[in-house]
Amino acid sequence: MISFNRSQIIGAEFPDSEIIRFNGIQEDHIYGMEINMEVRIKDGEILKIEGNMKRYTTPVCPNAIPILQTAVGKSLRDEGWESKIMKEIGRKGCEHFAEIIIECGHCFDPALRSRDLSLALEKDPALDQEQYLKNWSA
Amino acid sequence: MIQRFLRNKVVEVEPRPDGTLEVSWRLTDDLLKAEVRTVVQLPDMEILEADAKLDRFLPQGGEVASELIKKIEGINIGGGLRKIVAGLLGGPDGCPILVTAILESANAVILHFTRPGLHLSESMTDPTELKEGFQFMLQTNPRLVRSCIAFQDDSPLMEGLNL
Repeated sequence: MISFNRSQIIGAEFPDSEIIRFNGIQEDHIYGMEINMEVRIKDGEILKIEGNMKRYTTPVCPNAIPILQTAVGKSLRDEGWESKIMKEIGRKGCEHFAEIIIECGHCFDPALRSRDLSLALEKDPALDQEQYLKNWSA
Repeated sequence: MIQRFLRNKVVEVEPRPDGTLEVSWRLTDDLLKAEVRTVVQLPDMEILEADAKLDRFLPQGGEVASELIKKIEGINIGGGLRKIVAGLLGGPDGCPILVTAILESANAVILHFTRPGLHLSESMTDPTELKEGFQFMLQTNPRLVRSCIAFQDDSPLMEGLNL
């Protein structure tokens, strides 16, 4: 029997050519959290963020929700951005919020690559996808 | 609005009859499919076996992932793991996906042990009893102290503790 299970689902939308909007959900036997955030594509800066705690373990946990606003202005392109997010959002707020933000950050380039590849395929269905992605740069 | 990109990740811990834990970590998104399986021996939490399979459009280090992951065999889950994993599986010749997979698998093993204690605390309705329960957890798991807002020095759960 499974004794612990965690799922993370990260979705990315492009409301316009300058912004990527992430929705991240983390559900496991213990915690249930959600993050919505908007990031500027050109420099990776977090422009807007909100979080929701559905399941948590202590009465203090929801105090971490306002701490999320300290992520605004931080860039997913900065050197050591993951450590900064874990320190500022994770340690001072909630580690699980930080985990979702970091996973959204890990999806930043893959989402851009995926968007660009699908747009390129619309123009050229016979495109060499492997080669296209090898040549792709942010 | 239609999503342009979607990533699904699952990590599962399953106790086996021989007393080991099998951890299955899987990722699928528009560009990548990855599976990492580890077997962890208790009580020292040594990673006995590790296997990896990556598919679709391979990321950095993806071609050698199934060989690279073997470097993690024999490592114990515990203090300093982040640095050890980064050293063995990361870097310019490494594979960042494997680093993430191993760290998240190790975290899932820790949460496998955390879950029963939290189940017990759910049956506590008296706030004083609940606080004492959390304080016992902090005393027996000092790594939790100052790990998040609930366990910072100014948290009501830390009142009276000198940790």
